[in-house]
Amino acid sequence: MFYITLFWEYLKNYAKTRLTYRADFWIEVLSDLMFQGMNLIFILIVFQHTESLGGWSQAEVVFVYGYFMIPYGIFACFFNLWGFSERYIVKGEMDRILTRPAHNLFQVLLENMDPPSLIGSLAGAIIMAISWTQLGMGFELTDLLMLTLLVAGSVLIYMGVYTSLTAIAFYSDAPTGILPLMYNIQNYGRYPVGIYNKAIRFVLTWVIPFAFVGVYPASYFLERVQGEEASMALLTPVVGFVFAAIGLMIWNHGVKRYRGAGS
Amino acid sequence: MLAIDVQLLQKKFKVQKNREGLAGALRDLFMREYIEVKAVKDISFQIPQGEICGYIGENGAGKSTTIKMLTGILVPTSGRLLVNGYVPFKEREKFVKEIGVVFGQRSQLWWDIGVIESFQLLRKVYKVPEVDFQNRLNELVERLQLGDLLNRPVRKLSLGQRMRCELVASLLHNPSILFLDEPTIGLDIVVKTEIRDFLKQMNREHGTTILLTTHDLQDIEALCSRVIMLDDGKIIYDGGLEQLKANWSKGREVLFQFADHTRLDKLEQLTLGLGVEWTLENDLTAQMWLPHGVNVSDALARVVGAVEIRDIKIFETNTDEIVREIYRSEKVSS
Repeated sequence: MFYITLFWEYLKNYAKTRLTYRADFWIEVLSDLMFQGMNLIFILIVFQHTESLGGWSQAEVVFVYGYFMIPYGIFACFFNLWGFSERYIVKGEMDRILTRPAHNLFQVLLENMDPPSLIGSLAGAIIMAISWTQLGMGFELTDLLMLTLLVAGSVLIYMGVYTSLTAIAFYSDAPTGILPLMYNIQNYGRYPVGIYNKAIRFVLTWVIPFAFVGVYPASYFLERVQGEEASMALLTPVVGFVFAAIGLMIWNHGVKRYRGAGS
Repeated sequence: MLAIDVQLLQKKFKVQKNREGLAGALRDLFMREYIEVKAVKDISFQIPQGEICGYIGENGAGKSTTIKMLTGILVPTSGRLLVNGYVPFKEREKFVKEIGVVFGQRSQLWWDIGVIESFQLLRKVYKVPEVDFQNRLNELVERLQLGDLLNRPVRKLSLGQRMRCELVASLLHNPSILFLDEPTIGLDIVVKTEIRDFLKQMNREHGTTILLTTHDLQDIEALCSRVIMLDDGKIIYDGGLEQLKANWSKGREVLFQFADHTRLDKLEQLTLGLGVEWTLENDLTAQMWLPHGVNVSDALARVVGAVEIRDIKIFETNTDEIVREIYRSEKVSS
């Protein structure tokens, strides 16, 4: 409850600071959407050359992409820590965070919130809804509940992976270049894993489980009986919890090694 | 009850050793060498509740490192540490509710929003009830005359204004201990005085324990009943300011300006047996040095009757000089 109040307060402050720069706000939203739009166009181009991708139709792949955008937008809204090492470790702003009575990771996340990213989630939901009707699938209330649960799981996976990676800043002096690499890998998760070879499939499932932020949970709704995807869908929340817990552990351990900056 | 209890506290940092030149840099890439630097070396001290204690030392003496351990930001390498009955880094979130922290070099406030909004946000973070918050805020705003600043964004405040706001921010939740790391750095004398008076008042009325680091010894003279001096990670003095002066200052100087040419041996004759020393600066001016045991009036009485005097100035060795002297002697001895 305390954290919900805090979230609301920080959100209000975000609005006060950011909405004064309206142009900036809309440019960010627009460039975000264009970036996602490019990815979608890429999928459409691929399907001009082939009927199916590893046994998946265009509508299905687009559906997966729509799903992919929902947790990604939520994640990008709450986890905007790309400058963490620079701002909080090198400049020592972590000092301030650590002298306040709320969990330090939570404070850092709230300070850097980026609500415009949520518009990406909305766009994803729209894409999903359109393909849903194209595929002629029935819609029930339980689908909505499942969607919430699966999206929550996917967001937790993002959080866990990126929290662990950001926490590296506590252990190593120099900021690492691993984040852009990860960023690339997560995009693999929005295509059917069947098209990859075994090794990549294994990595995407168990090591850096980005298959759980796209294709696995999305295929729950596609009711594909054949293939391993649908059977993995229900594991999404479990994997989410495990990875979020690991991320939090690495983070908490890292904070103990924080050394502060200069004087 | 003790507000702060520190025993054999130590903090080591691992620092990467950089080898010279390009070849060295390449070797560093594969085989890093680290050296251990002890920033704080087994220090012990106790601060009772309600005390204002000054923590001084040269740059790099370990002041900030100690403060950061006391506030739970850094985890000590070894030693025992209790603040308000908590081990700071272990129960951080509970512990920090009862302390206030001001780092002179860094802001606690949100840069782009009005000061009052920062305070409101802090109210939520510290879970201060609305009524308590309002009372407290009114009191602090009145004391520090912040009335018309409250709606301005922090980035538009002058350093002095910002510093006063930082103080309010750190006190909104009525902490029992206040940590100040160079709170008067870069401020003009008016604001400095204002802040000192304010801190004294807080200490008197609310019994707030204050630990402050500073390079401005006037802060110490105005505020602290006790001084802890640190050098190279070790405590080299812990006690009252008066005692520090008595122990280290060599005495006072009195500067005489005479009406006529006065000879040194005549002056020495006059003060025979007092243990003072004379130096002649020119024909008309002489300097008398008195050790602490000698009364100024005794010495003056002897001179005043015998020689015609135009002017007298008395110099007390100031704290700056004493501290400089101590730093220097520590450098020699170590």
